[in-house]
Amino acid sequence: MRYIDLYFKLVAAGIRAQLQYRFAFFMRIVGMLTSYAGTAITMWVMLYQFQELGTWNFYEMLFLFAIAVLSWGFCIILFFHFRSLDTYILNGTFDRFLVRPINPFFHFMAMKFDVASFGQFIFSIFIFIWVSVELHIHWTIANVLFLLAAVIGGVLIQGGLLVIISAFAFWTTKSEQFYWVVMYPARNLTNYPLVIYPKMVQWFTAFVVPFGFVNYFPASVILGKETPYFPENIGYFSPLVGIVFFIIAYYIWMLGLSRYKSTGS
Amino acid sequence: MFNYRLYWTFAKKSFLRSAVYRFDVWSRLGSNVIFLLMWGSIWTALYAGREEAGGVSFQAMLTYIVVSQFLSGVNGAGTPLWEIQEKVRTGDISLELMRPFDVPLRYLFADFGSVFFYMITALLPLYIILFFFMDLSLPNDPLIWLAFSFAAFIGFLIRYCIEMAFGLLTFFLVETGGVEDIFYFAMSLLSGSVIPLWFFPGWLASFASYLPFQGIYYIPNAIFIGEIAGYQILTSIGVQLFWVVVTYIFLRLVWNKASQKVVVQGG
Repeated sequence: MRYIDLYFKLVAAGIRAQLQYRFAFFMRIVGMLTSYAGTAITMWVMLYQFQELGTWNFYEMLFLFAIAVLSWGFCIILFFHFRSLDTYILNGTFDRFLVRPINPFFHFMAMKFDVASFGQFIFSIFIFIWVSVELHIHWTIANVLFLLAAVIGGVLIQGGLLVIISAFAFWTTKSEQFYWVVMYPARNLTNYPLVIYPKMVQWFTAFVVPFGFVNYFPASVILGKETPYFPENIGYFSPLVGIVFFIIAYYIWMLGLSRYKSTGS
Repeated sequence: MFNYRLYWTFAKKSFLRSAVYRFDVWSRLGSNVIFLLMWGSIWTALYAGREEAGGVSFQAMLTYIVVSQFLSGVNGAGTPLWEIQEKVRTGDISLELMRPFDVPLRYLFADFGSVFFYMITALLPLYIILFFFMDLSLPNDPLIWLAFSFAAFIGFLIRYCIEMAFGLLTFFLVETGGVEDIFYFAMSLLSGSVIPLWFFPGWLASFASYLPFQGIYYIPNAIFIGEIAGYQILTSIGVQLFWVVVTYIFLRLVWNKASQKVVVQGG
C-alpha cells in the first residue's frame, strides 16, 4: 500500500518535470505519430500489388501492428527508464537508489513516468476503430477483456525484456548496445505476422524472447487466423507468459544488483 | 586549396578508432542480419511461391533486398545523426568551428574511415558468404559491377549530404523530433530500400522519381539486378550526379547559416 501511494507521488513529480518543456513534449508526440504512420504507409505500399502477406491482408496487419504499438505505449510509460540504467551506473548516480529505504527496483522504475506515449495511444486507438469497421470485428465483452489482458501481457513481456537488458549493465556497465541488437530488431520483426518467418525464428519469438505473445498470438485469436506450428488459441496464454517472464526478469535484475559494485565516479 | 593530408588523417584516425570499438561492429552486424532476415522473409511471403511478379523474378527481387541490406549497412556505419545533434546541443561543435578545417568535410572523411573498417571486417565477409550460399543473381558483366559500385558511392554521398543537413537543423530547432521522423520515413520508403519503386502505386513512384532519395538505394540496387540496364544506367547515374550536386549545395547553405548563427550567439 505504501508503495502505491509513493508511486503516484513520484509519478506526479515526474510529470510536472516533463511538462516544463511543452514544445519538446509536443514534438515528441508528433514524431512518434509520424514514424508509426510511416510504418503503416510502408505496409500499404507493400500490399498495393500483392494484397496479402502470408494470408494476412492490410487491415489485419494494421490490427497486429496497433496491438504492438498500444502495449509499447504503456511499456514506455512504466519501464522505459530502465534503458538509461547504464548511464546512471557509469556516472555513479545509481548509488542514491541504494541508500533509500525502499526497494531499489521499484524506486528506479518510479523515477520517471514518461508521459509522451500519447502518440502511441492516439495512433493505436485510431487504428482499432478503423480496422474494426473495415473488418467488421464483433466486439463482445469477452473480446475486449481478452484484448486488455493480452495488452497487459504484452506490456510485461516488453517491460521484462527492457529490465533484463538493463540488468546487463550491472555486469558490463553497458546496456544500450544490447537494446539495439535485441529489443529494436525484435520489435520490428513482430510488426509483421510471425507466420512468414522460418520455423526456428517463430519458435525463438515464442519461447525464448516471447514477443509472439505481444501481438501475433493474441491478434490471431481475435481475427481467427491460423498459427501453423503452434496450437490453436495459444494467444490466451499471453497474460500468463507476461507474468512469468516479468518475474524472471525481476530476479535477473535483483541478481545483477547483488553483484553491483559502484564505479565510484 | 584542398588539404588532402589533413582529411586523410581524419579517415585514418576514425578507421583506427573503429578497430577499438569491436563490440559495436558485432552488434551492428547482428541487427543488420536480423533486418535482412525480416525483409527476406517478407518478400518470400509476398511472392508466395510465384516465379515472378510485375515482370521481376523472385531471384532478382531477393538479390535486390540482399544488396539493399548491404548498402544500408554501409550507409549506417558513419557518424550517427544524434551524435552531431548532441554536439550542437552541448555546444561542443563550437570547438570544431575554431579549428582550421571544414566541418562537413571532416565528418565525411571520418565516415570513410569507419565505413571502410566496417566493410572489410564485417559486411564484405558476411555478404560474400551469403552470395555463395543463397541462390541469387549476380551480374556477369564487370562493367555492371563498376557501374553499381560507382552508383552506390554516389548514393552514399547523397545520403551523407541530406543526413548532415538534417543534423545541422538542430542549430535552428531545439527539438527535431517530428522533422527527423519524416526524414527517416522518406529515407526508408522513398529511397526504395525495402520496396523497389516499380511496386509502388503509379503516382507515388513518379513522386519518388522527383526526389533525391531514389539515388541512395533504388538506383544502385536496380543496376545490380539488371532492372536498370543499357543506356538507362547512364541516365540514372546522371540523375544521381544531379542530386549529389543539389544536396551538396543544400548542405553548404545550411552549414553557412548554422555556423554564422553560432558566431552571432558567441558560441
